[in-house]
Amino acid sequence: MIGAGSRAISRYTGTLLAVFVAQSIISVACMFAVALVFSQAFSHLPMFDEAIDGDLVALLYCVRYGQPGLVAIAGIVFGAIVVWQLASWFLVGGLGGVLAQRPEGRGDTARCFGASGATTYLAYARLALCSLPGWIVVLFVLGACTSLCAGRIEHALTVPELLGPLALATLPALLLLYFLWTVADYARVELTLRSETHDPGVVATYLRTIGYVLRRPVTLVHGAIGWLVFALVSVAYAYLSLGHPMYGAEGAVTLFVARQGVSLLRMATRLGILAGQIELGRTRPVPPRRVELKPDPKT
Amino acid sequence: MIGVAACGHDRGPPKPRPLPKIDGSAALRGGGPARSSRIASYKLEARLDPVRHQIAATETLTWTNPGQSAVDALPFHLYLNGFKNEQSLFMRSSRGELRGARASETGWGYITIESVHVAGADVMSNLHPPAGAGTDESVTELRLPEPLAPGATIEVAFKFTAQLPEVFARTGYKGAFHMVGQWFPKIGVRVGAPGAERWECQPFHASTEFFADFGTYDVALTVPTTHTVAATGVLTKAVDDGHGLRTLTYHAEDVHDFAWMADPYAEVMSGRAKLGDGSVEVRVYFRPEQRAFARRHLEAGIGSIEKFSALFVPYPWPVMSIVDPPVDAAAGAGGMEYPTLVTTAGDSVFSRPGIRLPEFVTVHEIGHNWFQGMLASNEAEEAWLDEGVNEWADGLVMAQLYGPRTSLIDWAGWQAETGALERASAAKPGDSPSPIATAAYAFVDAAAYSETSYVETAAALSSLEHTIGSQRFAAAMKAYAKAFAFHHPTGRDLFDTLGAELGQDLTWFANPAFHQVGTLELKLRRASCTPVHPPRGVFGDGAARKTIGEAEAPDAGTWSCEVTVQNTGVVHVPVDIELQFVDGSTKLVRWDDRGTASWERFTVERSSRLAEVWIDPEGKIALGDPTSRHYRIAGDGSAALRAGAWFGSFAQTLMQIVGP
Repeated sequence: MIGAGSRAISRYTGTLLAVFVAQSIISVACMFAVALVFSQAFSHLPMFDEAIDGDLVALLYCVRYGQPGLVAIAGIVFGAIVVWQLASWFLVGGLGGVLAQRPEGRGDTARCFGASGATTYLAYARLALCSLPGWIVVLFVLGACTSLCAGRIEHALTVPELLGPLALATLPALLLLYFLWTVADYARVELTLRSETHDPGVVATYLRTIGYVLRRPVTLVHGAIGWLVFALVSVAYAYLSLGHPMYGAEGAVTLFVARQGVSLLRMATRLGILAGQIELGRTRPVPPRRVELKPDPKT
Repeated sequence: MIGVAACGHDRGPPKPRPLPKIDGSAALRGGGPARSSRIASYKLEARLDPVRHQIAATETLTWTNPGQSAVDALPFHLYLNGFKNEQSLFMRSSRGELRGARASETGWGYITIESVHVAGADVMSNLHPPAGAGTDESVTELRLPEPLAPGATIEVAFKFTAQLPEVFARTGYKGAFHMVGQWFPKIGVRVGAPGAERWECQPFHASTEFFADFGTYDVALTVPTTHTVAATGVLTKAVDDGHGLRTLTYHAEDVHDFAWMADPYAEVMSGRAKLGDGSVEVRVYFRPEQRAFARRHLEAGIGSIEKFSALFVPYPWPVMSIVDPPVDAAAGAGGMEYPTLVTTAGDSVFSRPGIRLPEFVTVHEIGHNWFQGMLASNEAEEAWLDEGVNEWADGLVMAQLYGPRTSLIDWAGWQAETGALERASAAKPGDSPSPIATAAYAFVDAAAYSETSYVETAAALSSLEHTIGSQRFAAAMKAYAKAFAFHHPTGRDLFDTLGAELGQDLTWFANPAFHQVGTLELKLRRASCTPVHPPRGVFGDGAARKTIGEAEAPDAGTWSCEVTVQNTGVVHVPVDIELQFVDGSTKLVRWDDRGTASWERFTVERSSRLAEVWIDPEGKIALGDPTSRHYRIAGDGSAALRAGAWFGSFAQTLMQIVGP
C-alpha cells in the first residue's frame, strides 16, 4: 500500500500539483482577504506591528481594538474551509478515478479526473450527510470524557498530570473520529471503484465499510502512518521556524512560500494514502449488484 | 507516570506530627512599644472538629471606647453568616460565586452565638440584629446595660460555634484542608469627628472586605495532632493534650485580624527576608505535589517583604506565613490577606517558570500587609485605597524583583510588564459607570468594582507617578506610609500627604481621576502636511491686479505640518508628543491641557513630511486606551500581510485535514 502511494505520487505529480494549486488559490484568497481586514483596522497603528512581532500587551490591545475585524476573519477562514470541503468532493473523486483507472497521458488523465469527480460528486455529498450521525457521536464522547476529566485538567500542576487526564478526555473521541474517518475514506474508495459496475448505494456502502474496516485493521494502521507523516511534517516546520521571525512584507511572502512547501508535502502524503487505500479497495469483495425491477407490462 | 497522574494523589490516612517548635521571638520585631492604640484585643480558645468542619470557641473581647462620645451598643460582624443561606447580603450580591469559585449546595457556613456576658452578667437577651438588617445576619448588635464612657474599657465574653462553609470565598474547608478566616464575632470601628463618632460595621457584601481596629490577639487552637497549623502571630506554646489532640497558642500584637489554617497533609518550607534592622522568617505551607510552586512563592515572599519594607515602612512582625492552598481549594481560599498570614494561588501547569502569576499573587497578598495590614483603611468604603494602591505598589515590587519589562511574563519569547498586561486584559478603560472613589458595595457589579478599584486606581497612580517623577512620588508615598501606619487613613489623607510632600495641590488630578466617571481619552484627531510656498492667488486691484500661480510661487521644498490632538476624557495631564518625520528627524512638543481647551493644534515647518505622531512616547500615561496614541500617517500593510499569511496557512492546514 505504501509502495502504491509512492508510485502514485511519482506517476501523477502533475495531477497532485493541479489539486494543490486549487487549494493554494483558496488559501491565497483567504490570506489577502484577512490582510485586507487587518489593513483596514491597523495599517496606521504601529502597535499592530509590535503585536505581530510578539508583544503580548500590544496583541491584547489590538485584539480589543479590532474585535469586529476578528469576527470577519473567523468568517473568512470558515468560508474558505467550507468552499474547500465542497470542492474536495470533486477533487477526491477525480483523484480516486485517476488512481483507480490509471490513465496514460495528460489529456486522458484530465478527462478521467473530470469525469470521475463529476460522477461521484453527489454520492460523496450523500456520504458526508450519512457520516454526520457519527460525528455527532464523536462530539458527545468528547464532551462526556472531557467533563469527567475537567477537574483534573484544571488542577494539573505538571505536564504529566496534564497529559494523563487530557489523553483520557480526548483519546476515546479521537479514536472514534479516526475510525469513522477511515470508514468514510474506504466508503469513498468503494463508491469510486464500483460506481460504474455495481452502482452501490451510499448508506449500504457506508454500513458495509464499517464491517470491512473492523475486519481489516491494516486500513487503520495504513491511515495512521499517513497522519503520522502529516503531523511530523507540521511539527518539523514548527520546530525549524521557531525563533526565526520574518519581518516586513518580504517576510510575509517568505512565510507564505515556506508554508506552501509544507502544505505540498502534506498533500503528497494524503495522495499517497489515497493511492494505498484504492490498492487495498480493489481486493475488497464486490458489493451486491443493484437489480432494477421493471414492471411486466403483461401483468 | 501519566497513568498515576491521571488517578490523582493517594495520600493515605493522616499521620500524627511532632509538636511544632515555638517561636522564640517577640510578637513585634525587636519588641518595643505598641505601634497602634490597641483598641480591640481578643482572647480566643477554639477547638477544630475536622470531620464536621466546626469550631467550638470562647472569646473575650477587651474594647476601649476611643471616641469622645459614650457608646450604648456594640455592633459585631458575624461574617460566617454571610454563607448561611441565599438571603444573606453576601450570597445575594455574589450570586453564590466569587472569583470563579462557586458555593456548593451543601456546604453552608454560619456562626451560632451560645452566650454573651458583660462583667459576668448574661446579656444574651440584649443581642439583636441591627435595625434595617432585613434577612441578612452578618451583623449583630449588643445593647449595653449602661453606656460606656469615652476612654472606658469593657470586656465582652462570647461562647460560639462556627460552622465553616465549603470554601468558595476566602474561608472554609475543602476536604481535609481548613482555612479559617472571619470566624469569630468581631467588633466594628468608631469613626467620625471627635464627639460625633458613629459605628462603622458594614454587613458582609461580596465586594467588601474588612475594617477593624488594631489590638493584641491571644489565641489557643486545639487541633488533631495530625494537622499542620499556620496562624497569625507567633507560636508561644504547644502542648499535647492526649486523645490525638494538641493545643497551640499564638500571640499577635498590633494586628486587626486573626486567621489560621489547619491541614493534615501540609508541609512547610521557610527562608528569611533580610531587612535593615533584622530579618523576617517567611514560611510557605503547601501540599507535597505543590513543592515546586512553594519554592516560587517563598522566593516571591522573601523578595516582596524586603522590597515593600524598603519602599514604605519596615515589616514590623517577625513571621510571615504564606498558605498555598490545595489546587482544588485555590480558587476559593487562595489570594487573601490577613495580618502576618496570606493565602496565595496560581499553581498550575500553565504557570510555567517565567509566567509569574503565582509570584504575583504572593506579592499582591503580602503587599496587603502594608496597604490594609498597617495602613488600615476602610475596605468597604474605600476599597481602592488598599486594593488599588497595593496594585500600584505591586507593579514596582514585581519590576524590582523580575525586571521592568519582564515583571509578569518572560516565557518563550513573550514578555510583559505587570501593570501593562493587567490594563490590556481589563475591560475598556473608563467603562465603569462609577468613579474610583466609590464604596465597594455601591459598584454596579463585581466586574466594575474590580476593574475600577484595582486596575484603574493603579493606572491613575502610575500616571501621576510618571507625570511628577518616580523618585519624588516614591518619597511622598513613603511619607504617607510612615504617617499613617497603624492608623485608619482615608483617601483624603493620602492626597493631603502627597500634596504636602510634593509641594503642590493635587486636586487637579485627584478630583477627576478618582471622583469622576470617565478617564483620559487622548488621541490624534488629524495630521497632515502641505508644501510651503509663497502665497498664490489674485492680489491687488485694477491695473495692479496680479495672479500668482505655481510658476511664480513655486514650492519652497519644505512642508507645513499640522497636528491636532484632543482629550475628550475627564482627566487632563501634561503630555509629550513626538513628531517623527520621513527623513528620520523628530520634534518633541508638550501639551498641557489642564484648564485650557480639550484640543490643541501644533504647526511645524520642516524639510520633510510627517511620518508618525506619537502621543506620550515614553508611555508615562497609564490611564486610557493607548492603542491609537501612536499613529502612522501613511498606512503600512506589511504587518497585516504577515498576519494574513499566517491565517491563510492556518486555513490551509484545516483544509488539508478536512479534504486532501
